Amino acid sequence: MTDATPAPLAPRRHLPSLPVSLIVGIVLLAPLAVAAVAGSWLAPYPYDEMNIMSRLQPPGPEFWFGTDEFGRDVFSRTLVGTGSSLVMGVAATALSLLAGVPLGLIAGYKGGRIGEAIMRAMDVLMSFPPILLGILVLAVTQPAQWKAIVAIGIVYVPQVVRLTRAITLELMQEEFITAARLRGENAAYILFHEILPNIWPPLAVEASLRVVFAILLGASLSFIGMGAQPPSSDWGLMISEARPFVEQAPWIALCPGFALATAVIGINLLGDGLRALLDPRNTGAH
Amino acid sequence: MMTAPQARPAVAPVTVTAPAPEPAPLLDVRGLTISYGNARGTLRAASDVGFAIRPGEVMGLVGESGSGKSTIAMAILDLLGGGGRVDSGEILFDGVDLRRLPAAERRALRGDRIAAVFQDPFTSLNPALTVGRQIAEPLIQHKSLSPRQAAARVLDLLAEVGIRDPRRVTAAYPHELSGGMQQRALIATALGCEPKLLILDEPTTALDVTVEARIIDLLAKLCDSHGLSALFVSHNLGIVNRICQTVTVLYGGLVVETGPTGRVLSRPAHPYSKGLVAALPRITAGRRHRLPSIPGTVAKLSGPPAACVFAPRCPFAEETCRSQPQAMLTDAAGDGVRCWKADALAGTPWPDEESAARKPAPQAPAQPTAPLVEVDHLRKVYGANRSILPWLRRAGTVAVEDVSFTVGRGEVVGVVGESGSGKSTIGRALLALTEPSAGTVLFDGTDLTRQVKQGDQDLRRRAQLVFQNSAASLNPRKTVGDAMDRPLVLAGRADAEERRKTVAGLLTRVGLPSAYADRYPHELSGGERQRVNIARALATDPDFVVCDEAVSALDVSVQANILNLLAELRDEMGLSYLFITHDIAVVSHIADRVLVVYGGTICEEGPTGRVLRPPYHPYTEALLSAVPRLAEDGQEAPRILLEDAAPTPGGQGCAFAARCPRKLGAICDEQAPPVHRADDGHRIACHIPLATLAERAAVFPELVGDAAH
Amino acid sequence: MLAYTLTRLVYLALVLAVMSVLIFLVTQAMPGDVASMIAGQFASKEVVDAIAVKLGLDQPLVVQYGQWAAGILRGDLGRSLVLEQPIAPILMEALARSLVLAVVALAVVAVVGIGLGVLAAVQRGKLTDQLVSGISYLGIAVPDFFWAIVLVLIFGSYMKLLPTGGYAPIADGFLPWASHLVLPVITLVLMLLARIARLTRSSMIDVLQTNYVKFARAKGMPESVVILRHALKNALLPTITVLAIDFGLILGGVVVIETIFSYPGMGRLLLFAIQRHDLPLIQATILVVSAAYCLANLTADLLYAYVNPKIRHGMKAA
Repeated sequence: MTDATPAPLAPRRHLPSLPVSLIVGIVLLAPLAVAAVAGSWLAPYPYDEMNIMSRLQPPGPEFWFGTDEFGRDVFSRTLVGTGSSLVMGVAATALSLLAGVPLGLIAGYKGGRIGEAIMRAMDVLMSFPPILLGILVLAVTQPAQWKAIVAIGIVYVPQVVRLTRAITLELMQEEFITAARLRGENAAYILFHEILPNIWPPLAVEASLRVVFAILLGASLSFIGMGAQPPSSDWGLMISEARPFVEQAPWIALCPGFALATAVIGINLLGDGLRALLDPRNTGAH
Repeated sequence: MMTAPQARPAVAPVTVTAPAPEPAPLLDVRGLTISYGNARGTLRAASDVGFAIRPGEVMGLVGESGSGKSTIAMAILDLLGGGGRVDSGEILFDGVDLRRLPAAERRALRGDRIAAVFQDPFTSLNPALTVGRQIAEPLIQHKSLSPRQAAARVLDLLAEVGIRDPRRVTAAYPHELSGGMQQRALIATALGCEPKLLILDEPTTALDVTVEARIIDLLAKLCDSHGLSALFVSHNLGIVNRICQTVTVLYGGLVVETGPTGRVLSRPAHPYSKGLVAALPRITAGRRHRLPSIPGTVAKLSGPPAACVFAPRCPFAEETCRSQPQAMLTDAAGDGVRCWKADALAGTPWPDEESAARKPAPQAPAQPTAPLVEVDHLRKVYGANRSILPWLRRAGTVAVEDVSFTVGRGEVVGVVGESGSGKSTIGRALLALTEPSAGTVLFDGTDLTRQVKQGDQDLRRRAQLVFQNSAASLNPRKTVGDAMDRPLVLAGRADAEERRKTVAGLLTRVGLPSAYADRYPHELSGGERQRVNIARALATDPDFVVCDEAVSALDVSVQANILNLLAELRDEMGLSYLFITHDIAVVSHIADRVLVVYGGTICEEGPTGRVLRPPYHPYTEALLSAVPRLAEDGQEAPRILLEDAAPTPGGQGCAFAARCPRKLGAICDEQAPPVHRADDGHRIACHIPLATLAERAAVFPELVGDAAH
Repeated sequence: MLAYTLTRLVYLALVLAVMSVLIFLVTQAMPGDVASMIAGQFASKEVVDAIAVKLGLDQPLVVQYGQWAAGILRGDLGRSLVLEQPIAPILMEALARSLVLAVVALAVVAVVGIGLGVLAAVQRGKLTDQLVSGISYLGIAVPDFFWAIVLVLIFGSYMKLLPTGGYAPIADGFLPWASHLVLPVITLVLMLLARIARLTRSSMIDVLQTNYVKFARAKGMPESVVILRHALKNALLPTITVLAIDFGLILGGVVVIETIFSYPGMGRLLLFAIQRHDLPLIQATILVVSAAYCLANLTADLLYAYVNPKIRHGMKAA
């Protein structure tokens, strides 16, 4: 019975205007996506071509962003490394969603002993600091990039489970779920047709942020030698390899660093934009 | 309290005479225009609003949601948020235009000379600060009291607003207090600096009726004793009638009528006021009588009105009304009405709903047939915990304690109770949405909960629910048509085209255009959504519908619409309802039989007419006496004011004992009350003998002789 | 509150027990064999076996775990194979140094982050807000190790203002001690600031729209009182939780930052142990780090409960 803020007019459905952050995010990410797909064709030099004659060259017309200690072209390496760096984040996030969303749905919908068991297991996983859990998983075997992906995926499963469960529980209280139960829908219909469509917007936002964390964590793991392995040109690894030469040749670290920053800012903006876009208030509902 | 209306200087420029001895108004609002702007355009929340409040006067500002009443209150306080701004107008307080004052000076007035109490006490108090500190704040800020002096004053203030143990309350955090106590604390805060003007924004709307009655009583006394002026914003005409001397009616951001409360509510001049008064469900009205309602939805303006704002919904509208904006017409006494036909319509009441003159109804269903729903010794306990950690073990909270009743075929059973009475739990148990801790619920002779557990959903479809919150009960990502299509699919109707027709038919049945099937819930108004809710419930072709506060969230005019629809459907389809509500007036309007529940138990049960007359259960009596009435409804009975105390369900004695004004003594606390059975299946659970209960005077004497009621 | 704390403590003990089993199993699966490492590269099989018997490595896993766990409960974390010293003192020293880093960094993050968040919320949509959000982005846009390298480059290599790595005990004087902390702290702050500032901003914005803030304004409270007393106190609840978790994270070893700045804390110790396949040291470090992380989480929850009167005053455990 309040009328503090009158609802805006225009109850008809209309396409919401795209948030600025979404557009900027896409603009930033588009070239990276191209590089990730076609990096090795676009690169002026092969990413692993060593040339002792042109070691640690500063940026110039020949090597746009200079060369590293083996005389490899930094720009080409960064370009080719895009795929490795982004795939790590995206794949790990996909993995955590794949495992986490069903678990979260079950924990939220079923509750009871099963839900309790799932949540307690997640609590144990969450009791390890993220990077430590990654290290723990990786320390068992010889490092490799796909193992890093699995490790990062596992690290983020508990967060995804918790979020999914929280939203599911909230939705379970909604009256339209009660209405569905009343007309005799089975669990599968309620989960997939009533709950899931309402879960994916917050999950999409969450996923975009997860990708950022996963990319950064992947870069960190590569940095300490537990992710991508030489001679890969993963950005984290490139920065790590550049460290001893940072005083003489800072460009080796700067180029992948800027690429990483662009990716992270782009995805962050995309996430913010998505949040604004998917907010029901933006579509005239309130 | 109700002083005779005095003449006062009119706001409108039409003013001719202003008697000299008349005191200047304390608050004089002139030509106030407020709009909200966002990316999609502007919305006028108030257009050229004017009214005046004299010293010592309480003025009601009434209107439905969207009328702009709260916006105006906030504008006076300079607390418009969310993109709202005052475009033009004057807000004269004690002769000074507040809008011309610098922000710091306006702030200094707030809480000192102009104090406010808001709608929701549960959220108006800061959860992180003690109540005492929050009351003391304005004293320290405006009156420069030391914290110690302020603390002493807080105790006095709390005592003045009727709090028994001020010391405990000052040290308490808000969540430790009941809603009534919280509202008292807020009132104490407002009174602290001895303000001249109170802004009361729906101060009792969030409270239970018996608590509301006490708070209104307190406010009226305080205004009287302190000589306070107040702006009382409310949607509830009965409450306004109780506390306000004058009333200003808003519609679509415009003042449509203003005048003394008694006159406006008994002889409303503006068609909208007539409609509002007519649409109010009344206990004294015939139960089978159709409620008059106002068709259509509230107007929203984006600029100055080009025609009468009410014309689209007005049964008296003519061509002139639709083409010309209306001016405020003020008479010599200062009463105003924004309708050029007001004089011509003076004797004309709001038209009755005759369209579908209600059939005599399948009255009194043949009783011998087995009841549709049988509830037997139902008990429900929430939150019981059998943890292995001893300090976590909990017996749980009793929501429903040993409740038994039946619902006959084609019968409407009303369940009346306050928050925490267990009424919603009863409804959910009947629909197998919650499993009883003990007892059984039989639907058409079968245990529904067990059937559902075994995966048999067919029986369940015959029992449906209409929710309170029409927005939350529709999936925001599904069109109306999709939402209604599913029950048909589940019922095994394979032909999509035929289903589409059924959906269209159902929508038409509840009074919506069939084109609404393609709309999304957020594109509908509250009343329309509630119709969709009802249509969806009907889609499974049910025998039994639980209406859980189905009209509580709606405006009076829309509420009447929905009540009429529900009554029609019952008559035509032979539906049975369990009608759950906190509003005994609504229940008396629609129910054949009423259960009055308190603290999880049934304290009184019987045919509606029986329950409304003595003998009463003491709680029923208090509930009835708390029902606000309009002037024309006759003299008000003395109100029975209950203590602020939480019900104590699941205990040894009577759940109502702690608040009962007629408590006998220890027996009420220690033993469950016996059930007195009178004729007609009238049952009262009370330790007081039936004969003694029958001696009480009727709260509504006009109902007593009406045995056929 | 007491019941809540007790429950959480029981729960923490359970989680730690499960974690210790996990850690034990994982480290057992790691490549490398303790006995042959002790014996050295050229030892005969007999010697290796003898050492294995002496250390109880021929016993079933359950027994080995029992001995290990019993040792931990006695405060005996075993001996490091590489350093050839008891682990407990080494670990405590590293933990203390990580603690210093955590406390200083968090103090800075809390003050600056909350300040910026409140400022952004109050100035919502204005230039200040945009600036704060810009700074926030800068902090999280680049991984911590990149910032570390840039900082080392600027302050260490070019300006030669600050030491680029290492640690000086406070016994050597305040200035050397503090100067070694500056760069790692700045890096940590850059990493953590964004989250705290953004979280504070969003919860502050939510709180500023509540009825009790409106009511405080209606009481005529000055805006500073409204923001600091009425709004901030409630808005800080989520921030406090995150701060406590961040504290656990730093204690748990910011492996990368400690490596770059050669800061001898828990993270560096752990990396050292892993690189040298020092199994007892790995086990002990991970267990202590995880325990510290869990404790910080517990503190976060208890602190949240304490600050929130609704939970503090006798309400049921969550």
